[in-house]
This record gives sequence, structure tokens and C-alpha cells, in this order.
Amino acid sequence: MAITETSGKTRVSAALGREALVKWAPLLVLLVLCAFFALMEPRFLSTRNFARILIAASPALMVAIGVTFIILMGSIDLSMEGTVSVCAVTFAFCFLWLGGTLASWAWLAIPLAMLVGAALGFINGLVHVKLKIPSFMASLAMGFVGTGLAMVMTGGDRIRIEDELYRGLLTERALGFPLMVYVAGLFLLVAWFIQTRTTLGRNFYAVGGGEDLATASGLNVNRVRIMGFTLAGVFFSVGALLAVGRIGIAETATGNNFMFLSITAVVVGGTALWGGIGGVWNTLVGVLIVFVIGNGMVVIGLPGYVQDAVLGILVILAVILSTDRRSISFVK
Amino acid sequence: MSLETLKPYFPWITLGALVLLVGALNPSFLNPASLVSVVADIVPLFIMALGMTFAIYIGGIDLSVQQVANLVTVVATVYLAQFGVFVAVICVLAGFAIGAVSGWVTTRQFVPSFVATLAMGFIALSGARFLSGERALSMNAEARDASFGWMFGTTAGVPHELVIAGILLALAWFLQTRTTFGRALKAVGAGELAAVSSGLNVDRIKILAFALSGTFAAIAGLMFSVKLSGGDANLANGFLILAIVAVLVGGTPLTGGVGGVINTLVGTLIVVVIRTAMVYLEVDATMQQMIFGIILIVAIAMTIDRSKMRIVK
Repeated sequence: MAITETSGKTRVSAALGREALVKWAPLLVLLVLCAFFALMEPRFLSTRNFARILIAASPALMVAIGVTFIILMGSIDLSMEGTVSVCAVTFAFCFLWLGGTLASWAWLAIPLAMLVGAALGFINGLVHVKLKIPSFMASLAMGFVGTGLAMVMTGGDRIRIEDELYRGLLTERALGFPLMVYVAGLFLLVAWFIQTRTTLGRNFYAVGGGEDLATASGLNVNRVRIMGFTLAGVFFSVGALLAVGRIGIAETATGNNFMFLSITAVVVGGTALWGGIGGVWNTLVGVLIVFVIGNGMVVIGLPGYVQDAVLGILVILAVILSTDRRSISFVK
Repeated sequence: MSLETLKPYFPWITLGALVLLVGALNPSFLNPASLVSVVADIVPLFIMALGMTFAIYIGGIDLSVQQVANLVTVVATVYLAQFGVFVAVICVLAGFAIGAVSGWVTTRQFVPSFVATLAMGFIALSGARFLSGERALSMNAEARDASFGWMFGTTAGVPHELVIAGILLALAWFLQTRTTFGRALKAVGAGELAAVSSGLNVDRIKILAFALSGTFAAIAGLMFSVKLSGGDANLANGFLILAIVAVLVGGTPLTGGVGGVINTLVGTLIVVVIRTAMVYLEVDATMQQMIFGIILIVAIAMTIDRSKMRIVK
């Protein structure tokens, strides 16, 4: 630990510089990345390609927004792979059982899947808060349970959703972009509303900014935490619905890769792992960075596996950048 | 005798009860020959859990072990023909290096260990997919037998895997209990700030602990690769949860400072017995992950030292 004494003035300006940098760096990175890929390959800038990026990003954006609320509180949720799989499979089973097309009662499968997501998130929150298990471990274990549950439900099979109305999420386009992009945009606005205009949203920041203070001000921190995990579960289920709409298949593997993608997106977007800083717009930028990198590398002809390494390095850099070294003594 | 004084013996009691239970259900389980083969089968997992113990003992976690093992299976398969038995050195060095970088990132750069190791794991996965060309590779059978044939087979009825596991356990136990490094590990796990104040070079100790975790994961990957005679970027998938369960069920809590490598031996045996019991009870293979997830939650809830965590995040 290098603790250096600096004069008050330089410290203030350094803090300002750091704050401005941390605030605008993600957007800057996104723009630089776009410019770089556009220079390497002009086709990158086409509407078709942007549509491709946004289609891939929509389900991940929902999942990342869910986990944003948790990270704002200074906790973490690693259960998304299991939750997404269970929601996707539940939705597919109910959808087919209730008629298999949106024109019938099968639309009920949508709120049902969201309810299942909320229930899983609620259990996750209960395990974390009531058993006092650190959230990363409680949610990781719940994620394993979720993936296992999805496996038991499907027996390893894939369930096809071939309803044209539901697949319209992908096939129907407005202004060049499929409907699922607009659905994701709508839920982004809902998340933004929750974050800025509701008591729950303010409470997330209060818990993340300083739990002692929040408790001392009479806030029921445990309740906020459980509600946060429940809300995250709902957004995970929306991500699952969009993922099924995109591929037309629900299976145990539907949830694969969401964990690392969404955590990377949130952190790279500038939401601090320590809580209290950032929000859903940061997450939008972060998700776009992650998917622009993924898409851009394919467009300029790099193999897909490079993306994992680049994201791994990015997430470490992002956490380092967003960490105020003077305020912590050690991490576990 | 209160519950707290009994706590260190819980893993042993659990293991004994489980063995008796499964033995009662199916007496053939207690047949020594079948016991030995069941245990020999689990050696790679045990070695991985042994390494993970060091990361958890200091209060951190290593989520990269599975990917390190994946990478090593590919490295071992690709370079076996070229380097023969010395490929083991490359594998171990790779594991050590990845672990050391994870440790450096968490201690010097203040990135929480679960994020740092998760990210390092994906970097390792990327390397595995690059080296393997995203295909499942297989080893040349002759080269494998010439270089690593000694890993398998039996001497006087004892499978060589068990001997290797025993040597590594003895080594880890010696490190933990008979060296200053081991005492320092305990100090860091019991209270990091106190360890810093007493003048220990905590950063170096933590980096070494993660490096050891990577090294053991690499050895596990190597054994796995030789056993299955091949390498693949997904070969060791599914091992992470079992390794964490083995460490925690054995009685090394997530908060660190107590427990150790002997506990991990007990924990791994518990995992083995549970898995065998599932086969006897005809529990569907697809349910295993769910059941181990629930066991994991119960194990953490029972072992964790809440007095160390003022705020549970």
C-alpha cells in the first residue's frame, strides 16, 4: 500500500480529474472503439451491422441492468446463468402448454416467467441476507442450483418456440431495427425510472454509498437488499424472454455466458464494484462496449475466442480505474 | 460440550455418518477394492481442491481453477510430442503464472479476488481455445504412455493416483503447518490488518497463495488430460463447484483462517460419498448440480465466521 501525503490543493484537482475521467471514460472508449473498427472496415458503420450488434446486446442488456442494481448496493449477483435458463425453460413449457401462440392464452407465460424470475431473485436475496452469506457466494450457489433445475426440467432437451407472433420480436423491424431492440429500450427506461424516481432506487444508492449511514438513518437495509435481488430476478427473466425470442429455442444452455458478459458490461460501463456510483446508463454504455468489441473483431476477421481474453483484461482494468486507492486498505 | 467446541469435528462426523449410511444402503460400497477405485477416480478433483484451500484459507477465492485446468489439458496435449515428460514443467509453470497474476491483481491493484480470478479464468479459456483451435484434441497413445504412463497403474494394490495425491497432500500439509509461510497464511486469514501491523509482507504471501492454487489446478488438469488421453477447452467444466464444495464442506470457511488441507481431504471424501450415494439411490445425474448447489449453501451457512464480517455484502 503506497499512501503518499499530498498537499490539499493537488489532491482536490487530482480527485476532480479522476472523477471526470471515471465518469466519461466509458463513453470515450465506446466512441474510440467504433471509430477504430469503422476505419478498419467501413461496413462496420452500416445500419445492418448496428442492428446485428443491438440484437445480440438486447438480452444481455436486460441481465446487466438487473445486476446493476445489485452492484450499486455494493453486493454482486452471479446467479444470472441459472435464473435465465430456468425462466426461459419455464416460459417455453407454459407457452406451448397454453396454446403455443401469442394470439391465445399463451401470453400468460410471459408474466409467469417474470414471476419465476422474481421468486428466484427473492430466494437468492433471502439466502444472502438471512443466512448472512456473502452475496457472491450465495448467488453463485443459487446459480448452480438454477442451472441444475433447468437441466432437470428439460432433461437436456431443447424446446422450440415457433410461434410467428412471438418470433416477431426478431423478424418484425421498424426503422431497420427489430422489435426486441425497442422492448429492451422500453425496459431500460423502466429501470431508469426505478433508479431515479422511486424510493427503492434512491435506497440502492444509500446502501451502496455507506451501509452504516443508511442503517443509522433508519433504513431497513435487509429489506432493500432482498427487494434489489427480486428486482434483478425480474430483469433476468426479461433477458431470458428476449434470448428465447432471438434464437427461438429454450434450453439449459440459454443462460450460458451471461454471467461474465453482464458483470464485465456493468463494470466497464463505470459502475463501481464498491457500490454507490454509476447506474443504468453506464450499463448501456458498458453493454455496447462489450458487444461492439465482439462484433468488431468478427468484422475485421479476428477469431471469436479473442473476445474472452480482451474482456478479461478490460474488466480488470475497469475495476482498477474505478477504485479509489486511498479509501481502501485491503480487499479479499 | 457445547456446539462450538464440536464444530471442528463436524466434517469427520458427517463423513463417518455418510459412509455408514451408504454402506447400510449398499454393503458392496464398503468393499475395500471398490472404495479404492472410487477414491482414485476423484484424485484430480482433490488436487484442485487442495490448491483452492490456500486461496480460501487467506479469505479469498479462486474461480479460475477450472479454466486453468482446461488450459493445461490443451497445453499438455499439444506439446506432449515435442517436450515429452517436460511438458509437465510447462503446465505447472503456466498454472503458477496465472495464479500469481491473479494474486498480483487482487493484492496490488485492489480488485476483489472473485472478479480478478473470474477474469483471469476467461483469459486462460481464451488461450485454451486458441491453442486447441476449438477442437477436442487427443494424445498420441505411445507418447503418453512413455512420458506419463507411471501416473496410472498400481503397485501392491495401491493405485499410483493415490500415491501422487498422498505426496501432494503431504507437501501441502508441510507447507501449511511446518513452514513460516504456512503460519503467515494463517495470520493473513485470521486477520489481515493485524498481519500487516506485525510486519508481515502480506502482499507476497497472498500472491503466493493464489500462485499455489493455480499450480495445483494445473497439476489436476495434467492428470485429467493424461487420464482421458486428450485436451479440450471444456474438459474440466463442472469441477469448479465440486472443488469449492470440497473445501467448504471440509470445514475451511469462506472467511479463512481456520481449517486447512486435511479438512479438504475430508471434504473431498464427503463429496465422493455423496456422489456415490446418488448413484446407488438412482438420483438422476442431471440433479447432481442442483443438489451440490444446495449443499454448498448449507455448508457455507454452517461454517462461515460471522464475527469477522461486520457488514455482509
